[in-house]
Amino acid sequence: MKKSSKLLAILLTLVMVASALTACGGEKKAKETTQQKESTKTEEKKEETSNDQSASNEEEKVDEIYYLNFKPEIAEVYNQIAADYEAETGIKVKVVTAASGTYEQTLKSEVAKSDPPTIFQINGPVGYESWKDYCLDLKDTKLYSYLSDKSLAVTSGDGVYGIPYVVEGYGIIYNNAIMEKYFALPDKATDITSMEKVNNFATLKAVVEDMTAHADALEIKGVFASTSLGAGEQWRWQTHLANMPLYYEFKDNTAYDNSILAGLAANEIEFKYADNYRNIFDLYVNNSSTQKGLLGSKTVNDSMAEFALGQAAMVQNGNWAWSQINGVDGNVVAAEDIKFLPIYTGVTGEEKQGLCVGTENYFAINSKVSPAKQQASIDFLEWLFSSEKGKDYVTNQLGFIAPFTTFEEDEKPVDPLAREVLAWMEKDVESVTWTFAAFPSEDFKNYFGDALLEYVQGGKTWDEVVTIVKDSWKSERAK
Amino acid sequence: MEARSQNHKKIGSVMLFILLTVLSILFLSPIFIVLMNSFKGKFFISETPFKLPNSETFVGLDNYLSGIEKTKFLHAAGWSLFITLSSVTAILLFTSMTAWFITRVKNKFNSMLYYIFTLSMIVPFQMVMFTMTKVANVLHLDNPVGIIVIYLGFGTGLSVFMFSGFVKSIPLELEEASMIDGCGPIKTFFLVVMPVLKPITVTVAILNSMWIWNDYLLPYLLIGMDYKTIPIAIQYLKGGYGSIDMGAMMAMLVLAIIPIVVFYITCQKYIIEGVVAGAVKG
Amino acid sequence: MVRQNKKYFPIFVLPTLIAFTVAFFIPFLLGIVLSFTKFTTVIDAQWVGLRNYMEAFSSKEFTNALWFTVKFAIVSVITVNVFAFLLALLLTRKIKGTNLFRTVFFMPNLIGGIVLGYIWQLILNGILFPFGMTLTFKPEFGFWGLVILMNWQMIGYMMVIYIAGIQNIPKDVMEAAKIDGADRFQILRKITIPLVMPSVTICLFLTMSNSFKLFDQNLALTAGAPSRKTTMLALDIYNTFYGSVGSEGIGQAKAVVFTLIVALVAVIQLNLTRKREVEN
Repeated sequence: MKKSSKLLAILLTLVMVASALTACGGEKKAKETTQQKESTKTEEKKEETSNDQSASNEEEKVDEIYYLNFKPEIAEVYNQIAADYEAETGIKVKVVTAASGTYEQTLKSEVAKSDPPTIFQINGPVGYESWKDYCLDLKDTKLYSYLSDKSLAVTSGDGVYGIPYVVEGYGIIYNNAIMEKYFALPDKATDITSMEKVNNFATLKAVVEDMTAHADALEIKGVFASTSLGAGEQWRWQTHLANMPLYYEFKDNTAYDNSILAGLAANEIEFKYADNYRNIFDLYVNNSSTQKGLLGSKTVNDSMAEFALGQAAMVQNGNWAWSQINGVDGNVVAAEDIKFLPIYTGVTGEEKQGLCVGTENYFAINSKVSPAKQQASIDFLEWLFSSEKGKDYVTNQLGFIAPFTTFEEDEKPVDPLAREVLAWMEKDVESVTWTFAAFPSEDFKNYFGDALLEYVQGGKTWDEVVTIVKDSWKSERAK
Repeated sequence: MEARSQNHKKIGSVMLFILLTVLSILFLSPIFIVLMNSFKGKFFISETPFKLPNSETFVGLDNYLSGIEKTKFLHAAGWSLFITLSSVTAILLFTSMTAWFITRVKNKFNSMLYYIFTLSMIVPFQMVMFTMTKVANVLHLDNPVGIIVIYLGFGTGLSVFMFSGFVKSIPLELEEASMIDGCGPIKTFFLVVMPVLKPITVTVAILNSMWIWNDYLLPYLLIGMDYKTIPIAIQYLKGGYGSIDMGAMMAMLVLAIIPIVVFYITCQKYIIEGVVAGAVKG
Repeated sequence: MVRQNKKYFPIFVLPTLIAFTVAFFIPFLLGIVLSFTKFTTVIDAQWVGLRNYMEAFSSKEFTNALWFTVKFAIVSVITVNVFAFLLALLLTRKIKGTNLFRTVFFMPNLIGGIVLGYIWQLILNGILFPFGMTLTFKPEFGFWGLVILMNWQMIGYMMVIYIAGIQNIPKDVMEAAKIDGADRFQILRKITIPLVMPSVTICLFLTMSNSFKLFDQNLALTAGAPSRKTTMLALDIYNTFYGSVGSEGIGQAKAVVFTLIVALVAVIQLNLTRKREVEN
């Protein structure tokens, strides 16, 4: 009897404390719901009043929105943008940047919290599948109406759940000054005299291998900058380069309108262009500025620095890399010498192949935060892509080729790589779609990247890599 | 005969001294290598870490400046300090009270508590990692103040165990005398028991400080996006800014080690004693 | 006194108890329950019985991590304790500067795992560089790298415990043995080792549980590369939880298995060494 009463007393105190704790939480919740009610009220009002006023109404209700940024290389710019936006509207934009290779992990732990990101990004239809419970329908937003090509958005049924905010291109970036030096060599073994002539893998290979033979004369450590295979640094190979063979494989499947749809429908892959992947990958690694065994500690930064310092003539990357090249101390590459070359892998007809152009960056608005916060988040994005100040940031600091009608002809980024991407898009070639949007998961890419590292280090044969790629596509798709 | 063995001994101890000196240098060398590299340009580190900086590679304090700015190191150090000090204070106060109470007031519930606390020490963090993060979030404990509660909870096992062990060795007479003098349990605890607990308090304080100061995963999951402690800031250097900057990394490693070394040199005696006592009891 | 004190329970115990309940006890129970469910946000859990456990054991990564961890624990427990004991023997002899040496050997123990990991990454990559290799070249490199790191960190710690144990041996026992004509090796075998058995128990326990639970060092040194072959249990569980959406239940099941293993190892090991203490 006594014992049980004691226990009861303890339980009671526990319950009391617990209820006190939850009461605090509850109170907060109650406040939030009243806030929500108020904000819905203001929204109703808003429809009656003019748009300008609604901004000031929002201000009172929402003091902070939260953007989970994917691109670490431009995190600083976002902080400036946030500061400017706060100065202008009073709304604080909290920008958190996930470390390279950890976006999904970070999003996953953040979204479960009581103060989750209001703006996050998905990488396409596959990302949408993982996050569909959190994606708000954006079809009635101005942001969507600005989109110049509506088919670019991530849609499902009638709804629009992801809006691309940047079009990017990647390929092989080369330093034309070094190429000119090579073309002028008296004892070169090829008869190629300009980059115009390099329009397929065979020619590229001949040139690259001859350049390696003349590395001393060209004053380079290697033709290609390091194939970075450190942890979190492998995305250029497991995602971007992996795009090439699978793009061609899915393109062959004529049952679908485009390679992404075909890829999304594929439960298994043949990986029939694996040898083409190997062609170019081996070329990178065998003519690299770094010995094979050391690639496992190399970073993207290292690669870009080698290119910027003139130690390498070529590097596979996209137009976003301009800031990294430009930012290296002692950069010797002149802006006018930086050019793009498509990634040739030895597929028939590749003379007509262009750069890989597309996007894996789609804004999504968290559907689980209060409507007021959703609206404030949309307002911020609309401001960024339509106001003069916002657009200035987008073109000149973020360097985005933004796919929105709000950008005039003269509001395109002026950095050399972005200009090159635009120029290639104008040419009479077919751009390669970013088919990796259809890859089954992040883990699939990581398995691919891990296998590549072991292949380079001699721990795996090429056949084993192929098997791993096929098997992990199948198992990851099945999940 | 005697003299020769004496001589032998002397030579032996000189050899031993030399051996130990060499070993010590070997033991400290990793730290010196990091220190040396923190003054080199970022592209001269990973391939030639054993070369001294020269006129080509020396960059002075550049790595420190850029690293401090990038990682907001001063903020990180501030948060590390705040969280460690406040959590350890809370642990010392509350667990010593609890330990004394459940040791002195003997009943089934209290001894059950003692066993549960003790057993919790074995459980690896990954067991509760996900659920704890969730619970803490629901209760709004995922901020630098709330994390103190979490650390108190995680520190309970070891701390109660150690305080209890010590309390058992204190003679009851002291407390009884104080009670007879009319002091209640609260006064008795703070005026009579606490002073006696001093040595074990130092031990518990040191063990918990070392753990909390260096802890990575718990604060990363709870508050890592908004408030980066030193280990989180260092881990974030890898990948958080596009790609790793080895120069800044080296400088931040040095800055992370300095406070530990200073703390160690000033309280060396307590630390070693505390750690031994903690291990022997734990 | 006991009777009087009872009503002070809320003041003395409750704060600790609440914190313990919130931070540990509820999450622990919840964790056990959730290991039998499929969930992504705790609230949406659906009972799936033992499926998570079956998936955990059929995952190659988990079994690989398990063996890697076991091998690592065995190798580092042996090396750390042997070196630490030898150093302790040397440092309990009467020579100059023992205090300074002790200070130096102990210091790495205070440095956090993340920092340790990056220090050794730099050094080991630097050593391998002239051979055209890096730490991620083979899983064996990561393995031995972790062992070296663990030794650097733990030797000093274990050493001070052994020193305390050796210093606790009564002087007269030693003297008596010397008078009886026992040589140094005999003293070591017949007196020192049996009498420091309590310290051995502690040291084995500490190194074993630290080796099993290793996370920060693993994350910073190799992060599992190449191909997750150097992922230890704790890191594998973390990857399962946060690596992809939908496998939280499997992660939780792995965590339960992990907890059982750690507990089992601790119990067996404490029993074994305790028994030996008695026998001697």
